[in-house]
Amino acid sequence: MVALVIALALFFDFTNGFHDTANAMATPIATGALRPRVAVGIAAVLNLVGAFISTTVANTISGGLINEGSGGVLITPTLIFAGLLGAVLWNLVTWVLGLPSSSSHALFGGLIGAAIVGAGFESINLTVLLSKIVLPAVLAPIVAGLVSFLATRIAYATTKKRQRDGFRVGQIFTSSLVSLAHGTNDAQKTMGVITLALIAGGLQPANSSPQFWVILVCAVAIALGTYTGGWRIIKTLGHGITDIEPAQGFAAEAATAATILASTHLGFALSTTQVASGSVIGTGIGRKGASVRWRTAGRIALGWVITIPAAAVVGAIAAVVAHVGWWGILLDAVVAILIFVAIFLLSRRNTVTARDLAHAKPAQFVRPKPRGKQARLAAAAERAKGADA
Amino acid sequence: MIEWGSFLVVALGSLAGGCGVVLLFSLGLRFAGPETDGSRRGLGIACFTVCALVVALGVCLVIPYFAPFFARL
Repeated sequence: MVALVIALALFFDFTNGFHDTANAMATPIATGALRPRVAVGIAAVLNLVGAFISTTVANTISGGLINEGSGGVLITPTLIFAGLLGAVLWNLVTWVLGLPSSSSHALFGGLIGAAIVGAGFESINLTVLLSKIVLPAVLAPIVAGLVSFLATRIAYATTKKRQRDGFRVGQIFTSSLVSLAHGTNDAQKTMGVITLALIAGGLQPANSSPQFWVILVCAVAIALGTYTGGWRIIKTLGHGITDIEPAQGFAAEAATAATILASTHLGFALSTTQVASGSVIGTGIGRKGASVRWRTAGRIALGWVITIPAAAVVGAIAAVVAHVGWWGILLDAVVAILIFVAIFLLSRRNTVTARDLAHAKPAQFVRPKPRGKQARLAAAAERAKGADA
Repeated sequence: MIEWGSFLVVALGSLAGGCGVVLLFSLGLRFAGPETDGSRRGLGIACFTVCALVVALGVCLVIPYFAPFFARL
């Protein structure tokens, strides 16, 4: 049972990796600062490094959300298994839809659902849920968006038009910082889950830190997932919300990095994904002449709202089935594998690969000349401008 | 219990950090980037340097190994 949980946890880690590549690397790919393959390579290495340098206690995963321990709920490997199933399934569904949703919320949602089935509603600490997850989830993208908006304004006000290509170099550094921060945050969540399973299975003393092999496999799993590249989500974040210029990309990544660093340093667990999406929207509002596709933004926001409940429902169903006995768990596993295969086959219908994202949008002043009707309109606009001057 | 105070600190910290880095990098480009006469090149390079230091500080914040160092500050 514990082995099954570990395998599933590693698979979750892998999906977490490719789901979240977009957070750091969508904007540099969109502006052509980094070629797609190079970008995901850098992100993978930094996630690997990030997973190793973080030594914070992995038990923070439950963060008091589920009242475990004496007088509370007994967390069994079966519950963790059901919770993970919910998280993985939701991650795959949002990936097929190209929605940047929070992997952490999927994980929390799955575990919450499983815990409710296992021990009833009393097992969930609603205050913690509200103050540690729901409220930061609402506020973090807003703060990131605001910072990104102001940073974009600053960048465009300070630099001349032809100087803005220099931001591409800066983008490499800021997005790398986001990747590193992601590695220290997210790989740790899986380490926490595996350690929790080992403790629950009686293979490791309570309140002990993750063992070295756990850290190693988690780091490798998230790096592999990152390198695989969630091209669908990269496309949504880099091209779907707004068209991004290098200066905007730099501003957005700087805002993302600053928000994540400030909050983790002060003990708020944020979703990297939501911060990054907020930043991209903020920078879209910040540049004059840029437009934000609110339909796409709305779809993403809707995805966020239903992430926890959806993962919880799947986690709960899996927990109900798993409680019947060993064949319930087997049934869970088989159904899950069938769904994975179905989602994979569905995704083959319209694949999004590195190649689709390789042709970066050229910077403003080397944009190819418009032809036909557009060219005449542009020329008219130029003349009008000249007349004003 | 919702910690509005620490939330405010996070918001202000992100604002200062994010906008600060962008401002420094933009000024660097403004003074030392293309289409400049080169007279204020030194100033531009200074801006880039400070920007790099701020980012390095960010990297240090990520690595828990350095956390005790910041606790002392």
